[in-house]
Amino acid sequence: MVIRVEHVHKRYGLRKVLNGISFTADKGQITCLIGINGAGKSTLLHAVMGLTPIHGGHITIDGEAPGKQVYERIAFVPDHLTMPPGMRISESLRFMEDFYKGWNMARAQELLQFFGLERTERLGNLSKGTTAKFSLMLGLGQDTDYILMDEPFSGIDMFSREKITEVFTSDLIEDRGVLFTTHEIAEMERLMDKAVLLQDGKIIRSFDCEVMRYEEGKSVRDVMREVYQS
Amino acid sequence: MGTGEAWASVDFNSRDPVYLQVVRHFKEQIATGKLQAGQVIPSRRELGTLMKINPNTAQKAYKEMEEQQLIVTEGNSPSRITGDEEVLRAIRSELIGEAVDAFVASVRKVNVPVEELLDLVRSKYTEETNRQPKSDGGGTSGDQS
Repeated sequence: MVIRVEHVHKRYGLRKVLNGISFTADKGQITCLIGINGAGKSTLLHAVMGLTPIHGGHITIDGEAPGKQVYERIAFVPDHLTMPPGMRISESLRFMEDFYKGWNMARAQELLQFFGLERTERLGNLSKGTTAKFSLMLGLGQDTDYILMDEPFSGIDMFSREKITEVFTSDLIEDRGVLFTTHEIAEMERLMDKAVLLQDGKIIRSFDCEVMRYEEGKSVRDVMREVYQS
Repeated sequence: MGTGEAWASVDFNSRDPVYLQVVRHFKEQIATGKLQAGQVIPSRRELGTLMKINPNTAQKAYKEMEEQQLIVTEGNSPSRITGDEEVLRAIRSELIGEAVDAFVASVRKVNVPVEELLDLVRSKYTEETNRQPKSDGGGTSGDQS
């Protein structure tokens, strides 16, 4: 049970965005794609979802190619609102129920409460932090084996960040595989199982965080400093 | 014994493996009597939520503690703190030993005569113990010499 990315290349015109990327994200583990803005993180997530074509290499989700056939097994949490701003939270839940077989209304209710989301609120009126929680609720509300999150912590307040971090220690994640991108690891430093460091469309380091601490006594931040500042 | 208190508010550092920090926390709780022989401990998942750690890390910590015979799991029943007196005693001496080693290593650099050092330790230690009234259990402090 694994998302496998092998030698993936992608260009936008002449610019190479992904330049031979290989890594795996296991089910039951939290894998973090780290890199500064423009390193290719979001493109990579879009490629795993089959939302953008790649120009070389392979991506498989439990052996299957990306695309509609795997959408019931993999959820994607984008870094911006994808639902119409005039929609109310309650309406968005009904929308999800209609469109996803794996939508789990009971879990969604639990998540609304966990995040303190108000059902009558219109999406366009939510603050940035609340929008991030809302998007996460839509992703986690689906019964999927994997969940991808694009910059779930970017530009949001400390308390929302802490609340989102709590998700990763709770059974809301259950035994799913989590693959998320970030340019700032913050609270996730001690929660991720695996770190994959990207730069200029290439992977420059990839490691198990506990093994790194055990064998080299280095924090994820230490490795980032080593890698990005040399 | 509230189940929550023993777990919350642990300050993890980011350079030591988290699972080993969890094991250490258990040892401290055992040495100070906050966790007692035979006491049922939270499930791996519960521990993840309580200590705000990745459930995989909790899992790894429990595996390590099973190997060190700190906890025992029989069949499908929940894990417990061991009742083995020898293991429990060893935890206490291990923690004291580690603390003393660290202390000695750092104070050595200053080159203090041992008598002077022991006097200092004695007075500081009593001062600290008096200041913190929460001296729970293990109240045997240096009555030899």
